[in-house]
Order: sequence, then C-alpha cells, then structure tokens
Amino acid sequence: MISERNPLKDKIAFANAATTGFVPHNTDRSATSFAVEACVKVMRDTGLGPRDIDGICGPSTPSAQVLQHALGIPEITWFANPPVPFGNQVAAAMGAISAGLCDVVLAYHALHRSAFFTASALRDPFRRPPGGGGSGPGPDTIAMAVGYTAWASRYIHEYGAKREDFGRVAVSDRSNAADNPAAAMREPITMDDYLQARMIREPLCLLDMDVPVDGGDAFIITTAERAQDMPYEPVLIHAATLGQIDKSMEDQTPSLLRNGQHVVIEALRSRSDFWIDDVDVYFPYDGFTIITLNWIENAGWCGRGEGGAFLGDHWDSEGNRVLIKGRVPMNPHGGALSEGGTQGSGHIREAIHQLQHRAGARQVADPKTAMVTAGGFFFNSQGLMLRTA
Amino acid sequence: MVTDEELVTRFRGYQLDHDNREHYRARLDHVLLVNRCAACGTWHHPPRPICPACWSTDVVPTPVTGRGTVFMAIFLYQGPAPPGVDYATPYPVITVELDEQVGLRFTATAIGASNDQLQIGERVELDWLERDGVPVPAFRLSDRAGA
Repeated sequence: MISERNPLKDKIAFANAATTGFVPHNTDRSATSFAVEACVKVMRDTGLGPRDIDGICGPSTPSAQVLQHALGIPEITWFANPPVPFGNQVAAAMGAISAGLCDVVLAYHALHRSAFFTASALRDPFRRPPGGGGSGPGPDTIAMAVGYTAWASRYIHEYGAKREDFGRVAVSDRSNAADNPAAAMREPITMDDYLQARMIREPLCLLDMDVPVDGGDAFIITTAERAQDMPYEPVLIHAATLGQIDKSMEDQTPSLLRNGQHVVIEALRSRSDFWIDDVDVYFPYDGFTIITLNWIENAGWCGRGEGGAFLGDHWDSEGNRVLIKGRVPMNPHGGALSEGGTQGSGHIREAIHQLQHRAGARQVADPKTAMVTAGGFFFNSQGLMLRTA
Repeated sequence: MVTDEELVTRFRGYQLDHDNREHYRARLDHVLLVNRCAACGTWHHPPRPICPACWSTDVVPTPVTGRGTVFMAIFLYQGPAPPGVDYATPYPVITVELDEQVGLRFTATAIGASNDQLQIGERVELDWLERDGVPVPAFRLSDRAGA
C-alpha cells in the first residue's frame, strides 16, 4: 500500500551540509575521524555548538555513541544508526523531529575503503576483517553489489542496450566532477576510455562502478521553522520515501518493471506538488551505471529501455555531459562514479548546496527544486523532493 | 544424518541458520531443496519460516528438478578465490528461473560450457562440484535446447 498522505510536506528542512572531500586511496585515518571532521565543519558553519544538538543519526560506523563521545555532545534525546543509503538517515531524522523526539539532528556519513569495496583496502592491516575460515559461497552468488551486474545483463537482453548507453553516465559524471574540488576523480574521460576500461564483472567494467573513497559528509536537519534562524536558506524536504517490495533479494526481484524504484516513484509522485518537468537539478543514483538508466526511465524522463538514447539526446557537447532539455544537470557533483561512492550522502549534500546557491563553479542558474532518487533496485531504493521556500 | 554441529563445521564461511539448514544438509547428498508450502503449494527462496503467500508455517524443503532457464548471466574477472576459482577464464555466475514456478530463481556457477554459450534464455540442469569438502550446486547446459 502506498499512502498519499504527506503531513510533513515542507515541515522539515536541511539547514546545512558539509563535506571533507574524498580521496580514492587509503588514508592513514579512521572512519570516525572523517565523520567528526565533517560534523565539526557543518556545526561551525551553522554556528552550532555541542549543546545545540539533541539528535544524532548515521550508519553504523562510527556509531552514534562513538560520534557523540568524540564531539563531546553532552546530551541527546534521540539517535539511530540505520543502514545506508543515506535516505534512510534522512527519513529517520524526519520522523524523529516531527514526533518531538528531538529538534536538531546531526546526520553524518563516513566513507572508509574496505575489503567489501576494494581488495586493496587489505594493505592496511586495520581494515582486514576478522578471521573465519572456509570459502563460504565464494563468488557463486549475485547478492549485494554483484546483483547490479546481473540485472545489467538482463537489461541488455531485454532492450538491446549497448555499452555506450552505460558509458554516457560515466562520462557525464566525470565531466561534472572536474568542477568539484571535493571529488576523488576529476580527470575527464572519453567514451573510448570507457569502452577500453578493464572489465570487472561482465557486462560491467571499472568505469560502471562507483569509486571507493575515504571521506565524510555531515548535515544539520531540523524543523523548517528552526532552520529559518540559521545562516543559510533552508532546503525544505517536500516529499520523501523509501521503497521496498516483498521479493527484494537480488536474484528473486521480479523484473526491471517491478522493484523498489517503482515504489519510490509512485510514492514521490503522489506526495509531491511538483514533478520532473519542474525539477531544476536531478540526482539519479549512480553507484552503478545500470541504476542510473533505470531511475531515469522509471521516473518517466523517457520510456523503458530508452535511458541511454535519452542521455544521448540530451547531451551537452560543449560540457561533454548530460543537460536535460539543455537546462537540468544530472549529478553535477560528479556522482558516486566520480565524486566518490557515498551511498547517496554526496547526492543529497550537493542538492542542498545547489538550492542554497553555494555550489561554486557547478552552480545551476537559480534552482528552486531538486529531485534525488537514491539507492538501487533491491533493499535500498529511496527518493527525496527538495525545494526552497 | 549429519548433525547441526557437523553441518556448521562443514559449511564454514556460509551463513547457516535455523531456516536454511535443511537446504544445506541436503546439499551434502547432492539434493537441491527449495521451500514449498504444504498448504498452498507456493515455492519460495531463500528459505523463510513461513509461506509468504498464505502464512502457513507448514513449509517443506522440497527437492526441485534442477531444470530451468538462464534469466541473468554474468562473468566475473576478479573476486573471491576459493580453491578451483582463479579467474583465468572469467567466472560465470548465472541466475536460473526454475521450472517449478515463474519467478522462482536460483543462482550458481555454470560448468561444462564456454562463456559465450551461456546466454540468457538457454536451458540448463543442475549438477554439482566439490569445493572445500562440500558439494556446490552448478548448472550445465541441457542436452536438448528447449527440453
């Protein structure tokens, strides 16, 4: 059942967002150090001290307990550590604030290169998982990240998609990242670079997959009213949703026409007063290029299987990137493929900075609205419609 | 019968629990069990303690024919390297839609075929390989296409 009720419409706001910036290699730092760096940055920039925070929310590393201790936040009345993508943190904070469990949430996400994302993380002994033994299922599974490659094979089978269709997502992201000092990968790439990139999990290559990074993002989330008293223009959360269906396991997901993305789009569309024609900047998740094509199609920017062609039709040759209708950029920060794999926190942070006119060389002309469709197909689809007053 | 203690020891590195133990126990005998509801007949995978279709708790781990159609096919150029997996040839992983029910799928590697033969839509049947002392399900192309 998808409820159209939206009592929180424009009631909860992002007051601010900050990032440490991202690097595509192992640093000699902990995940906690990146989380606290981002938190200190966003709190100082918002003029908030430890006593002004009464809610804390991030994924499990570091825990709310560790983060609160490190920042010396004396007392809080709410915390939560849901898993990523970062829409989960936003949704949890919205619920807590509106319920009166707290007023000002410090939300954070630290990225730390791990063996899960890259074998090279294992060169750092502190990143090695505890011993266990046994091969387990080994590679004989499409669980977790591998699932996107499997569904890419299905997408190609059903729609006859070409590698270039995927490549446009990667090239556009990289062009955008050139203007983002926080991005891990800023050297432009061509379609030839994409086509010649090392195959990792056929049909997806290295440049179809987000870049593992060290770094962190942090956010101040509060009531729209309270955010008015803070230094930057409040970014109102107009509509928000998470989306999941019963069969969300990677290999049991029914089809490209029936997964979490469809729940997200139906819910957002029924709860939001504006839709894609009124969106000024769009953030389709791009942890894998296949995800981006599906978000574009499922949101209705084009028909099924037409995502790659749509990107070609809306290609800005001068910028070597996507500019929908010559106006709406897609992941102007470079996305997960080039800024860094942030599981959505980077997309949300950039949406906030764009709507606050603080996006530097990437600034979209006078944007009023942003759409974020974060996460993938399975247990992690989510969406936000954002606007300024 | 292999005890639960022995089962957990033999399947080191696997996530075994109360709901999937019969599935893994049967693997030791080269039998692929998938949960089927004794009340309404609906199959589901991975194993849950209740039938998602009718909420009956009378779910029975039931042998499947092992026959099906390739639904998704990928080829890994790198990844975990248990004994016998070296990625010298990209390692196939296929998701197979089992004949028992539309949408009921099982993922495993494929053996006995070159990677370019492993196309979506091909008919396959279950076989087994050995790894780390336990049988691992794997699919082979069926002799007769469309059988």
